[in-house]
Amino acid sequence: MRSYLRLELVRGLRNPVGLVMLTFFPLGLYLLWTKVLDVVPRGQMDDFAAYSMVSMATYGAMGGALFIGGAIAMERSKGWLGQLAVTPLPAHGYVTAKLVSGAVTVLPSIVVVLGAGALLSGVRLPAGTWPVLVVLIWAGVLPFAALGVAFGYTLKGQVANLAMMIVYFAMSVLGGLWLPVQAMPAGMRALAELSPAYQAGSLGWRALDGLPPTGTSLTVLAAWTLLFCALAVWRYRRAL
Amino acid sequence: MKPRPARRGPRRAGERMTSVIRARLTYGTTPAPTCPVRLGRMKGNALELRAVTKTYGPITALGGVDLDVGRGETVAVLGPNGAGKSTLLSIALGLRAPASGTARVLGRPPAEALRAGRVGVLPQESGLLEDVRVGELVAAVAGMYPDPPPPERALRAAGIEELARRPVGRLSGGQRQRVRFALCVAGDPELLVLDEPTVGLDVEGRRALWREIRTRTGQGRTAVFATHYLTEADDYADRIVLLAGGRVVADGSVAELKSLVGGDEVRCVLEHADPAELELLPGVRHVSVEGRAVRLRTGDPDATLRALFRGYDDVKDVRIEGVDLESAFVSLTGRRSR
Repeated sequence: MRSYLRLELVRGLRNPVGLVMLTFFPLGLYLLWTKVLDVVPRGQMDDFAAYSMVSMATYGAMGGALFIGGAIAMERSKGWLGQLAVTPLPAHGYVTAKLVSGAVTVLPSIVVVLGAGALLSGVRLPAGTWPVLVVLIWAGVLPFAALGVAFGYTLKGQVANLAMMIVYFAMSVLGGLWLPVQAMPAGMRALAELSPAYQAGSLGWRALDGLPPTGTSLTVLAAWTLLFCALAVWRYRRAL
Repeated sequence: MKPRPARRGPRRAGERMTSVIRARLTYGTTPAPTCPVRLGRMKGNALELRAVTKTYGPITALGGVDLDVGRGETVAVLGPNGAGKSTLLSIALGLRAPASGTARVLGRPPAEALRAGRVGVLPQESGLLEDVRVGELVAAVAGMYPDPPPPERALRAAGIEELARRPVGRLSGGQRQRVRFALCVAGDPELLVLDEPTVGLDVEGRRALWREIRTRTGQGRTAVFATHYLTEADDYADRIVLLAGGRVVADGSVAELKSLVGGDEVRCVLEHADPAELELLPGVRHVSVEGRAVRLRTGDPDATLRALFRGYDDVKDVRIEGVDLESAFVSLTGRRSR
């Protein structure tokens, strides 16, 4: 179990595709918005730099969490799970190792975007807020890890990655990670506020102002987490 | 083998074979403790199947299989495609549940034995992680076993020490098979279960793999393998379990299996051979005539030859051949091995 976890960690941390997709892509978008494009009026730039820093860090972490399932789908279709089934590793050992290594490998995408905010885009926050942001963003994407696992045990190979890509983008846009929900029409905004991506983002956005998460955020996130966990457990049992 | 009963006059070729098989079937389903095959037992069996059946919808994959594999034995499971070999192995490993009957490995339920690290498996079809080094993969799997030997030992056993730092994704088919073997022995388990272990290996690779397996069984480990290569079963197994149509049709040593089919074959050239007449020669069990070429399967080649020379002046090119496993396989399963 521990030896397999070590292997998964090594794989996660030296995976170049994952690193580019989930760290450099949000970083690039962030720098594009805050350093290259003229997105907001001058006076609001500081707010926007902080706000979109949280958005992009959440976006990257969310992808990292979801694509735990992409790796599961791939390894399932390549027959690696068939090989693991005849080792002493218990069935839950694999998914546990995936979740733990996933939890570790999303950290770079959070830290890199926050670092860019602080060092390149001039975001200034009280020192204590930075670690709080890391933890909140990290915790906020938990439901996506569960959703990813559910996907991973439902679809196989590239189909899973394609489906997850669609879900990833749809949820990010609906959750206001690309453009703030303030820009949405009322109906869409109401929907957005029920979405896990928005609530994950709002943990960090509120922390920027030194505010704790709202009860609504926690309730909505907990509900999605439970739902996706149930889905994941069901799919996982079916796939065994 | 039992002494052959007295001749009962001519009969059709298939008849006798059926009765022989039936006799062995009985043996296969109710193990007799006095049987000479069951030697070398230590306390408890490595593998025990009792009246195991398995159906896939309307198809019966296994129709009541009993099997005992003692510790230290090397057992080959043979049979034509679809005979139930892989189903049998997957039930023995607890990967599939039998429809009825029980399976036990080293005295406990198979899945438990697997989780406890007592079993090493080389599955027929399985994938490997592509983005890790060979050494990393073997070390990770070795680490799942209690008290594993250093991973280098498994790499050496599989002959892939020099590939330890190579990413798995850049290996050839044969090299990948060696990696799978290294994973199988990584934890130095008590029971090795290998499904077609030498597929994709060259001659040298095969020989090396069997040498490693034999070394382990020599130390009291047990090996059960399924194969399509009859020569491998012939060369390396102490015992052969022949499956056909989901049943054990024969179970015994290679020599027993061969003698079951008829011991030896007398081949000769004879003008105007009359099969019915040849059948009456002492010892003869089965006659085949193709033009002038005559083959007499016999349980008593000396008596057959004596009578042959006495009765047929023009007989020539007489040879005696031992029945090979291939003919045994074909006779007992009614099918070709490939």
